[in-house]
Amino acid sequence: MKRRTLMGAVASIAMLGALPVAAQDGLTVAMSWANYQEERWKIDESGLREALDEMGATLVTADAQSSNSQQAADIEGLIARGVDVLAIVAWDSEAILPSVQKALAEGIPVIAYERQIEHPDVFYVAFNPIEVGRIQARGLVEVQPEGKYVLIKGSPTDQYAHYVLTGQKEIIDPLVAEGKIEIVGEQWTEGWVPDVARKNMENILTAVSDDVDAVLASNDGTAGGVVAALASVGLEGIPVSGQDGDIAALNRIARGSQTVTAWKDARDLGRLAARVAAELADGTAPAEVTDRVLWDQGPKGEAQNAVVLAPVAITRDNLQVVVDAGWISREDLCAGVTEDAPDACK
Amino acid sequence: MTQPHLVNMQGVSKSFGGIHAVKGIDLTLDAGEVVAVLGHNGAGKSTLMKMLAGAYQRDLGDIQVHGQSVALSSPAEAHDLGIETIYQTLALADNLDASANLFLGREIAWRFGPFRVMDQARMRDQTAQVIARLNPHFDALDVPCRSLSGGQRQTIAIARALQFDARILIMDEPTAALGPHETAMVADLTRRLKSQGLGIFLISHDVHDVFDLADRFIVMKGGQEVGSGRISEVTKDEVLGMVIMGRCPAQIRPGPGASMLDEHGAQT
Amino acid sequence: MKLGTEGARILSLLALLAVIAVGFHIASGGLFLTPRNIYNLVVQTSVVAIMATGMTFVIVTRNIDLSVGSSLGLIGMVIALVQIKWLPGDAAWNWPLSILAGLACGALIGAWNGLWVAYARVPSFVVTLGGLLIFRGMAFETAQGRTLAPFQDGYLVFGGGIQGAIGESASWMVGLVGVALYAVTQVVAHLRAARMSRNEPVRRRVLKVLAVLLVMGAFVWIMNAYNLPRSDIGRGIPVPALVLIAIVLMMEWIGRATTFGRHSYAIGGGMEASRLVGINTRKTVFFVYVLMGVLAAVAAVIATARLNAGTSSTGELLELSVIAAAVIGGVSLSGGRGSVAAAVIGALVIQSLDSGMVLVGASSSMRMIAIGLILTIAVFADNQFAREAKE
Ligand SMILES: Nc1ncnc2c1ncn2[C@@H]1O[C@H](COP(=O)(O)OP(=O)(O)O)[C@@H](O)[C@H]1O
Ligand SMILES: [Mg+2]
Repeated sequence: MKRRTLMGAVASIAMLGALPVAAQDGLTVAMSWANYQEERWKIDESGLREALDEMGATLVTADAQSSNSQQAADIEGLIARGVDVLAIVAWDSEAILPSVQKALAEGIPVIAYERQIEHPDVFYVAFNPIEVGRIQARGLVEVQPEGKYVLIKGSPTDQYAHYVLTGQKEIIDPLVAEGKIEIVGEQWTEGWVPDVARKNMENILTAVSDDVDAVLASNDGTAGGVVAALASVGLEGIPVSGQDGDIAALNRIARGSQTVTAWKDARDLGRLAARVAAELADGTAPAEVTDRVLWDQGPKGEAQNAVVLAPVAITRDNLQVVVDAGWISREDLCAGVTEDAPDACK
Repeated sequence: MTQPHLVNMQGVSKSFGGIHAVKGIDLTLDAGEVVAVLGHNGAGKSTLMKMLAGAYQRDLGDIQVHGQSVALSSPAEAHDLGIETIYQTLALADNLDASANLFLGREIAWRFGPFRVMDQARMRDQTAQVIARLNPHFDALDVPCRSLSGGQRQTIAIARALQFDARILIMDEPTAALGPHETAMVADLTRRLKSQGLGIFLISHDVHDVFDLADRFIVMKGGQEVGSGRISEVTKDEVLGMVIMGRCPAQIRPGPGASMLDEHGAQT
Repeated sequence: MKLGTEGARILSLLALLAVIAVGFHIASGGLFLTPRNIYNLVVQTSVVAIMATGMTFVIVTRNIDLSVGSSLGLIGMVIALVQIKWLPGDAAWNWPLSILAGLACGALIGAWNGLWVAYARVPSFVVTLGGLLIFRGMAFETAQGRTLAPFQDGYLVFGGGIQGAIGESASWMVGLVGVALYAVTQVVAHLRAARMSRNEPVRRRVLKVLAVLLVMGAFVWIMNAYNLPRSDIGRGIPVPALVLIAIVLMMEWIGRATTFGRHSYAIGGGMEASRLVGINTRKTVFFVYVLMGVLAAVAAVIATARLNAGTSSTGELLELSVIAAAVIGGVSLSGGRGSVAAAVIGALVIQSLDSGMVLVGASSSMRMIAIGLILTIAVFADNQFAREAKE
């Protein structure tokens, strides 16, 4: 995952469309953004707004512009307006707690959107970061079930990188125990910086004399660094993972130098939040919400109700999905693809 | 009409924030003449001279060199007019050696694209020559000025002023860092330069240093003139009185900086 | 011959480098001092080292530039944007044009910093801290945070990857021409000195030429000993190393032989003195920043070519490595002292530690600790050294 996440125009994938939603005339849902300047939230909002419009519900939003106090004031204002459900992208998941308490005390259901707020009465909706790691590892194991693996991990100071690693380990560890997979090198990547990933990969290759069969890179940026390092010793084409669905990464998948990317369509998350908001406003008990799970992977380990969305594994075989979603143009996807083109480029 | 003065300053003033460092000073200098600028520390001597050297820009007043009004908006402009300065602070870059300091800002160089490439060998040779004339024992040509003695540093500052054919020389407390022997050497040098036709401003807070060298003098106090005249008109003690108490002897016309006697005979 | 303090500093840095190299060679079971690792080290160092040459000038004038990492990121995005998005088709001159655009952008960034520092008199720490944020933000805005890829093949040569070295025979040619040129400069210098009737011993000059011959020969031999994958064709000198060598020579020359270099040192050693002798101090500081910006652009070309992508995070945290390299190289933060060559060796020291620790399987946190320690100890040792030299 990138620290400043994804952008670009996105169209829908009809993934959640199947769920029937009751008409919700008069429902008002509030969204308190942490920092709407970041491009990604515009994508989330388009999904959220679209789904709420369909239900006949209203969306009101506020932007805290990266400020704790602004976000507290925003939430007070939204409560005063009398909204039915409050969704929050927390700027600071600790400092936000008093505001959350206030809303809960007014009987307003609170949804923590994408960024976890650890409170037993808050409902959490997010892409499952652990699933990201699982998708990456599964993607590699499918094509390279045994052999020598390298782990290029994310930024050591980013909780998200640790979630991803947890997911990767879930899949890899049993195979390591069976002796099928050997981890010959692993390094964190400060700040998720691609060039740091490239240097680390180069040095690991030196250390193991190029004897590597697959690389678990934690996002597409670091995967780019890894592929560049592999190319310079003639190993381009061995399995490499990533996440985010970067245009460059999707192009690498089309060209065969990357295997899989865990793609998170932010619109889906917006739609999901709309649906959860509607259910909660209807009086559905949080534990009864469709697809609800108990989430206890936060730093404090407290359990709370959640719906987590699985990212989509994008590989050579289903590149058409991102094109159909309008995420990437066919020209960008297929730039430089020559022989052995994937179906999406034919 | 007579020959115009080499330097003619009229009503020159400069203030820093609220402090009038120099206020309405008139002063002239002719070729082959040494004019002493005297006064306590803080009297405004260095500020006055820095305006002539182009280092400070005056607020008011006119400065003529060879009868031409000049802006003196930069040290480079003063250099072009033949004005050289030995600064009280010496103005040496401590990390550079003698030759680099001597030619600093006026390197012997030729153009090469956007750069000017220095002829270091030539600069070094000329430095060695001019310094050898001043001080035959000076051998530390290749070390940074920071590790030189006060006298050696002063030698470099003086050498720099002599290197570039000065017609007007400003020497701001040139003997402050020197021992008696070297002080005598500077006095010799001053006489020699004067006989070569240079006009020299000799700045000091110490009357003894300059009394025997100067032709004329000006005493400053609080940025203003206490009085000025020919050295031959006054005694050392009278000048001392002007410097210390701002008291003008009868034969000297008091300037705005001179203190008046009140009815009890005390200074105000 | 008496060794200048700068010469002594460079020798002690080389000794430190040798200790690190031999230490890691042993600890990694013979991996460090291999042609392959040395080749990688040189390429990996080039980005930081190129910027460290400019940072030397910035710090010598008693200023700082915290924005170089962000500048590199922004320039990289501009190059990517021009080459991949703006210029139509796949014309052969697209990538050279994009490099020109990058250099222009670097000069502009430098001019921005320089204007504020030199003319508006805002402390450089503040100006460039602002720049760090501004340029990183702009890098993000140029493509809304998207990664732009791939570059044209011609451009990738600058990355030093599989197409990025000049081959065996060209490397020998470069080496020979280099040594020959050096020999010529020595002969010219000797003749000039003789004309000024200052005779220096010929033996010293011959020794210098021999030393250069030896170092150059060893370098080319090592670079040629690292083969292309699955072949016995040597790679030769990587293009980023050539760029770095050219930049180091140019910057050393600027520092030693030009008035601009001398004035930069003078400003750092005595700002007031420089003003009084008539140096245009503002203009000098301004152009020091412009130079820094252009060097950030050169580094950006290598950094982006290495990744075959423009990403808005390229160069993040790099300002720290660049400043650390200069400081380990003995460039004094109080101004007026330091050399380009020493800063480059400082960059090599940092990269050697970084790479060596990966070779022995140490974690990134251990690497941070090691580099931090070396930084502190190097500055301490240098201060002691400077104090002794003064006494
Ligand atoms: N650059 C400056 N900024 C502010 N005040 C100054 C500056 N230069 C001189 N002064 C002030 O101007 C006055 C005259 O100083 P100066 O000319 O150095 O005296 P002198 O040389 O006679 O000892 C002093 O009060 C001094 O503090
Ligand atoms: Mg003075």
